[in-house]
Amino acid sequence: MASFVRTSRSAMRLLSSKPGSVITKRGYADEMDFTLAAANKVFYAKANVRQVDVPSFSGAFGILPKHVPTLAVLKPGVVTVYENDGTAKKVFVSSGTVTINEDSSVQVLAEEAHAVEDLDAAAAREALNKAQSDASRASTEIEKAEAQIALEVAEALVAVAQ
Amino acid sequence: MTAWRAAGLTYIQFSNIAARVLRQALKPNLRADALKREDSHVKFTPWKDGKPITEKA
Repeated sequence: MASFVRTSRSAMRLLSSKPGSVITKRGYADEMDFTLAAANKVFYAKANVRQVDVPSFSGAFGILPKHVPTLAVLKPGVVTVYENDGTAKKVFVSSGTVTINEDSSVQVLAEEAHAVEDLDAAAAREALNKAQSDASRASTEIEKAEAQIALEVAEALVAVAQ
Repeated sequence: MTAWRAAGLTYIQFSNIAARVLRQALKPNLRADALKREDSHVKFTPWKDGKPITEKA
């Protein structure tokens, strides 16, 4: 009798460990709920896309559906969105955040974002020249740091703009 | 730590600079509109006795 109680208890314990709590629930089976927005434009609003590559301060990384939840700070650069039909869209983001949630939804929120096609190569070079002259004229530590930021962003823009 | 962070700048300040440089590198037709976002405007209206006191500018 005593052994029966013991076995039934362990059986109960097994039953009470729900498999649902082990496998994390996702809102979308193999889909991504992707949002890419900036103060100037909304590029994607809860769209289903295949993959998103983002540049961040912890390194550039790709996001597929069911990515582990993550928070990251955007670095100025190109976000590449691979849509389900295979086309890749490139958007230059100035800065912002990327949030990957447990339900496989992803939000890339930028201060300023523009399609790479909207960048002007000549204007980017001009911005780079201006940043270089500002950097050479900077005297205080803060001015130097500010000029260095502008310089890095302008370099990234020149590399991307055609 | 990045150089700008060591100099005491915050990510908000970094973001502002990065956004400004990006706006400068846009195609001319888009740039004019984008540059309008450069400044932020705050309008103050002082109130007294439940009514706004209209200031003469």
